This record gives sequence, C-alpha cells and structure tokens, in this order.
Amino acid sequence: MIRRQISGLAALTAAGALALAACGGSSGGSSGTGSGSSSYNAAVSSVVNPSSAKGGTMTWDLNVTPDSTDYQNTYYAYMWDFVRLYSMPLVTYKSCPGKCGLQLVPSLATSLGTPSDGGRVWTYHLKPNVKFQNGHTVTSADVKYGVERTFAKSVLPAGPIYYQVLLQDNKYPGPYVDRAKNIMGLTSVTTPNPTTVVFHLNQPFADFNYVVAIPQSTPVEPSWDTGAHGGANFQLDPESTGPYQFQSYTLNKQLTLVPNKYWNAATDSQVKQLASKIVVNMNVNQSTVDQNLLAGYAQMDIHGLGVQAAAKDKILTSPSLKADSDNPVNGFLRFAYINTKVIPDVHCREAIEYAADKTTLQDAYGGPIVGGQIASTVMPPTVLGYKSFDLYKASSQPGGDVKDAKTQLQQCGKAGGFSFNIAYRTDTPGDPQAATALQAALKNVGINTTLQGFPTAKYYTNFAGVPAYVHSHDIGVAIGGWGADWPDGYGFLYDLSDGQTIIPAGNTNISEINDPVVNSLFNQATTTTNQSATTAIWPKIDMQIMKDAAILPIVYQKVLLYRPPNVTNVYMDDFYGMYNYAVLGLKK
Amino acid sequence: MITFIIRRLLATVLLLIIVSMITFAIFFLLPRLAGQTSYNLAAQYVGRNPIPSQIHAMEARLGLNEPLQVQFGRFLKGIVAGETYSSGPNRVHCPAPCLGYSWRNQQPVWPLLTSNIPVTLSLAVGAAVIWLVSGVAIGVVSALRRGTIIDRLSMGTALLGVSLPIFFTGALALLLFSFHWHIFNVQYVGITQNPLLWAKNLILPWVTLAFLYSALYARLTRAGMLETMNEDYIRTARAKGLPERTVILKHGLRAALTPILTIFGLDLGLLLGGAVLTEVTFSLHGLGLFTIQAINNSDLPEIMGVVLLASFFIVIANMIVDILYAAIDPRVRLQ
Repeated sequence: MIRRQISGLAALTAAGALALAACGGSSGGSSGTGSGSSSYNAAVSSVVNPSSAKGGTMTWDLNVTPDSTDYQNTYYAYMWDFVRLYSMPLVTYKSCPGKCGLQLVPSLATSLGTPSDGGRVWTYHLKPNVKFQNGHTVTSADVKYGVERTFAKSVLPAGPIYYQVLLQDNKYPGPYVDRAKNIMGLTSVTTPNPTTVVFHLNQPFADFNYVVAIPQSTPVEPSWDTGAHGGANFQLDPESTGPYQFQSYTLNKQLTLVPNKYWNAATDSQVKQLASKIVVNMNVNQSTVDQNLLAGYAQMDIHGLGVQAAAKDKILTSPSLKADSDNPVNGFLRFAYINTKVIPDVHCREAIEYAADKTTLQDAYGGPIVGGQIASTVMPPTVLGYKSFDLYKASSQPGGDVKDAKTQLQQCGKAGGFSFNIAYRTDTPGDPQAATALQAALKNVGINTTLQGFPTAKYYTNFAGVPAYVHSHDIGVAIGGWGADWPDGYGFLYDLSDGQTIIPAGNTNISEINDPVVNSLFNQATTTTNQSATTAIWPKIDMQIMKDAAILPIVYQKVLLYRPPNVTNVYMDDFYGMYNYAVLGLKK
Repeated sequence: MITFIIRRLLATVLLLIIVSMITFAIFFLLPRLAGQTSYNLAAQYVGRNPIPSQIHAMEARLGLNEPLQVQFGRFLKGIVAGETYSSGPNRVHCPAPCLGYSWRNQQPVWPLLTSNIPVTLSLAVGAAVIWLVSGVAIGVVSALRRGTIIDRLSMGTALLGVSLPIFFTGALALLLFSFHWHIFNVQYVGITQNPLLWAKNLILPWVTLAFLYSALYARLTRAGMLETMNEDYIRTARAKGLPERTVILKHGLRAALTPILTIFGLDLGLLLGGAVLTEVTFSLHGLGLFTIQAINNSDLPEIMGVVLLASFFIVIANMIVDILYAAIDPRVRLQ
C-alpha cells in the first residue's frame, strides 16, 4: 500500500517528531486514565469495571472465519487487536481508552525506533529476558526471522506488504523457498547483537514505528516454524510471546487460549493475563452472537462490528441493557469515489456532492446508530489531525441541495445533467442500498446513472481498482469503504489521494486524484520538523480533496457494541475501533 | 444382490468422475474461456496489494500456471493415490482420497471436510428418524381419520411446517428454548464424548429440521394411504377377516411407503451433503456451514470437494433405497 518516496532529511525529522508524539502524553480527547461505572457510552472514554481480579473462563464469539491466527499473516483490525494476547511486536499501541490509544509505545523494544542515515535505518533494542512459551529467550534473530516470514507470500498471503515495499532487498523470496540457502538471508535486517535489530530501508520512511506496530514484527524461532508447527500450519499453534498461548485450535471452529507461564507482566505492561482460559467460538451466526452476549453465554463479540438490528432495538429500549453498551465512531469511512478522469470538470463533481442525499445514504448503512454519523470530511474524527469542516452542506442540509447542484451543473456546461455508471460491491452490506440511494438523489438534478455491481473479492483487483476498466466502462462513481493501517493523516489519506498511488490494478486511489497541491502537501508533511505542524497539514490535504470534489464522504461508521456487565477493564481503543481485547477479565 | 451392489458402485464411481469433470470445467475452464488468466486467479489468493512476483509465486505454488488437463489429472491422482503439498518449510502428504489443497486455509481439503461430517451426520440422521416416524405416523392417522378434527389439525400443522423456513423456526426455537428459558444449549459435543449431551444439544436442530420434513412426509403418507386403502386388495384382505391392524400396517402402509422411501433417500442424501440453513442458523460446524465458508472465500478446491462428497452421499443413499425397495415391496426385484 505504501509506495511513497520521501526525502531523507524529511523522514528523519518527521520520525523524531513522531517519536516525541508517541512518548508524550495525551494526543487530545481522553486522558486515558479515567475509569467509569457502567453507563451508555461509558467505555468510549473510560475504563468500565476496572479490576485486576484473576480467574474464570471467558467465552468469546466471532461470526466469521479469521484470515489467519498467524500474526504475520493477518490484515484485519480485530485480529490485530486479538493477537496481542499471544504476540509481542516491537512496538504497540498504548492500552488506554479513546484517543489515548492512538499513541505508540514500545512493546518488545525498549523504546521506539531510533532513525539514522536520513531515516533509512531504524534501530530497535530488545528488552532482555523476554521469553517464548517454551522458555527460550527472545533474540534479535527471532525478530528478523519473523519479518522474513512476511516475505513468503505464497504460503502466508494475507498480511500487509510494508516490509517488501520498504526494505532494501525486497526481492527476498522468504525463508521457505530454499531454506538451506535463504534462511536468515534477509540482508536488510541486521542483528549486530542478540538484543539489537536494525532495519535498512530503501527510502526514508518517517512512519516506520507504525509499521513495526503491526503484529508482523513479532519474533518467531526458526525451530518452531517447522514440522507440525511450520509454515501454513503455524496458524494452528503460533509461538507465543504474549500472556496467553494456544491450548487447542480446531481450524475456523474453536480456539482455546491458556496462560503462558513464561510471560512476564513486568516486560509487557500493555496487556493483561486475567482469565484462566479464553475460548473463542468461530463462525457463530451473528444473531446468535448477539443473543449469547445478552444471555451471558459469551463475554465478547470480537469482530467488533456491533450488534444486529434485533439486538439493537432490544438494547436501546432497555435502560439496563443500554447502560452496558457503547455507540462509538470506529475510524472507518463509508464514501463514494468520484473519478476525476471520467468526470473531469470539478463543477460536475461538485454537483454530485451537493445533490447527494446524505440521510438516505446514512439509512443505507443502517441509520445513525449502527450506520454512522453523516460525514463531511475524508478523515474520521478518530484520526490524528482530524479537523471538522463542511464544504457541501452535508450537516446543514443533509437531504441534499438541489439548487446548488443545478448551479454547479450550469457552471460545468451541463445544465440538463449528464450520465455515467456507479460501481458498488454486491456482497458488502449497505453498498447496494447506498448505490441505489445515490442514484435516486442524482436523478433529482438530472444526473442519470446506471448501477454496476461487482463481487468484493474482485472489486479492486479486476474492476473499480483498474483505471483502464473504470475509463472504458464510464464508471464516474464507485462506492467504497476505508480504514487506515495506522491512525495519522498519512496512514489514512495517502493511499486514497497521492498521485503516486495510482496503479494499473488493485488501485485504491480510484478517484485518480493527482492534484499537485495534495502531492506537495504530502511532501511538505515529510519535511516539517515539528509534529503539530505536521498534524496541521492533514486537514489541508483533506480540505483539498474535498475542494476537488473527488470523494463524497457518506458516514463515519458507528457501531453499537454490547459489553456484558461481568467483564472487567472494558474500553474502546480508538486505533482498533473496538474494545481492547488484550486487557479483559471477569468479575469475581 | 452382490452383483447389483457392485454394479451400482461402479456406476457411482463413473458418476463422480463426470461430476468432478463438470465441476472442474465450471470453475476452471469457463472462466478461462471468458478471459481469466491463471495470474488473475492467483491474484485473488495472495492478499491485498500484492506485487507481481508474489502473484507469480502463488500461481506456481498452486499449480495454476499448468495446463488445465494437467491440473485435473493431478486432482484425480490425489483422489486415487494421494498428493503431496508444500506447507512452506515442509512437504505435507495428503493421503487418498485427497480432494486438493485449500487455497484460503492452506490445508489439504479432505481432513477439513471430514472433520465436519460427524456434525452433519448427527444432524441429518437424528432429524431423519424424527421426521420419518412422526411424519408417517401423522399421515397414517390423518388418512384413517379423514375429515375429522384430528385430520384437519394434523394437516394444518403440516402446512405450517412446510411453509415456515428454518431460519425462522430455528431462530424462534433458539430464542425461546436457549436464550429465554435456558433449557437447551446448541453446541455440538461428539457422541463418543458424551452421548446424552450430544443428544440434548442437538434436540433443537433435530426438531426444527424434522418439523419441516415431517410435514411433507405426513402429507405424502396421507395421500398414499388414502389411495392404497381404496384398492381392491385391501377390500379382499378385510373380506378374508384379517384384523384391521394387519390390513393397515401390512397391506396398506407397506404399499404406501414405497414412494416415501424414494423421497427419503433423496432427502437424506441431500442433507448429508450439508443442511446449510439449519447449520448456519444453529452455528453447527457441519458440511453446510463449511460450504458457505468455501463459497464466501471463493475457495475452489473446497467447493469441489463438497460437491463431490455431496454427490457421493446422494448416490449412496439412492442405492440403499433401491435395495430397501426389494424388502418393502415384493413386486420389486433387484434384477
């Protein structure tokens, strides 16, 4: 995803700023130290039922199949949240409520990375005496091997590819292709001593601490990644450095975690080892998940996308149940790309922005509680650098502004309207309804559209993410959704809007934004020396994208989460957009 | 009899080969004819934003870049003689009948499939016993009490059973008996682990599934019995002075059962291939839920495996029905 070239000095200074930011206190919002009694939205900004009580078996439900339980091979927010129970990456997010949880803190490393050589080299020192579940001491070679595993994409395909893009020898085939020849052969990660690991990048990259905060930097012993535990089978029993380890796992059905006796709370303060057993039931029907939570059969829904309509009504109409629920914005944006090549005139695009009926679009995703809050910016409020503004009356006139839309149509020389196709994902809940709602709203101002549905699995690889296809099929608008891999403006906006990200297939900049102002602001961000100045740039980029009318924000996604009253230490983690699973326990 | 079974088994093998060819053609040949390349196909299984070398590596690992006939040959060889796959650091042997290698789960398909069979088998057989016994009994009583309140009540209930979908009756049963009254907890426990808990935890799915089928069977049995009981040989049996119980069970029901048995074989065979709605509603990890996951994941080897296994169950169930025909109806002989 990240394919940006950044100048060396810029990266270095920005990296320093980020490190300072991470070491500093609150980044706004909650201080993260508060604790609260149970009430509606209490866990959004405070810890509900704080407790250090140990013991008990927790049952957690999941309504889907995870992409993998292998921390080097997973790309879902809920799994990144969950795998912290048995992994210890170099860096992680601070365990505290709300925006406090956006801060980076060292985990396996003693501190955040130290950049050198203009931001091309990043050095991490490991905490001494951190143990694997078999009692072996973690060394820098194990961290390196973990990173090497991420290169074996034909065996472990699901995880992000930041190391392949950023490290110098990005053609490394992974440790399995020729084990004898290539094992430990990733030359761009060096281990000068057992507690130091050094990453050599092919370009300066200021956000590298965010990259190693992804669970892929978790150490793995090469001796564990072989035989019954190895390669594709690693997911069945991944080597643990966290508070829990696998006791049993029937693939995609049920996973049981038990405490890792070699885990030491003193070296891993961001997670807890409270329950004596955690049982995760997978592929449970979502309505059953909801009922299990309400009936007390389950203590957590780890998908984190909230309850369905039936449970929602029950919760919201019962004061006692409502007091045990939260309705946060979860950091995900529902929006529509407006393609700047298919609709080249900005006034025509602005007509779409004005004409869209945000209330029907909001309803398409489930309304204000489980759909989301009407959005007027590209960045959601949970991203560092968010600033509220509203260029197209999304808040003041959510039903759409037909008059202004028609004015814009006149200015683009198409007073009678024009036509194009709208692409959407047929199997993504809400998208077909959103496409239909947008089509109806645009028709009111004379813009005629035809809907074209595609399967999600091929949406980016074969259709909407292929600019040639988009142009040849006159796709002026494509419905989409977006969440960032890390929570700053760069992490959220870059792949959506920098001109360099436009690629022939798998393109996420479907609007094909290649605005010199936006590109220059991204470059400027990397040359800015202090963090507050960097943070001030993100809303400027956001504003410019909106001025270009290249994205039609629909909703900042919201979910209704239920937390059973007997669960302790419950709070929303703004980075993951759901509860922090790494600290939960049961009331005695 | 032996010759008959051997002949049917050989036909089964032939049928399964044809099914596998058709399935393979649908998933691999037709998309290719429509312009899909092996590179495009591999790109769907290599995660988000892959770089080309990774896609090529996946293409090679899954053997997608080989000619289709070679891929199909390897698939058949796996069924007959087993196949070896790379799990990364090791080669994993998948013994016959290996049904390929899951592209999403990165595991041989056969063990994944077979781990789901006990759940589906438990669900289908348990429900089948209930619906067969209750459906036939209700049908017989209803036919013999034609026009009475019992008949009307029975057929009204039957109509309800046929009309209500499982995702409604199942969800209602769960809501009442599991979440409200806390009587039954639907979580599969192996029969060898705890037979009582196995049965208790499956009662809700059994009854829900049986409610749908028994309704159909009651109506069929009633119709069959009404027709049979008007036959001349029934009158003759009564004229001979046979007890009414013998007339009904030995002469009436026996003849009416023949079409019931045919449908029962088909229904049971279909269910053994996965009771999709029931398994999804009750979150039971059987072949039906496995099928849904395979389809959601576009995991073609898993889908092919399920199709073949389901075909196998249907064919075997029909063979058993054919054999039972001879036992039930003396007019049928296995010649």
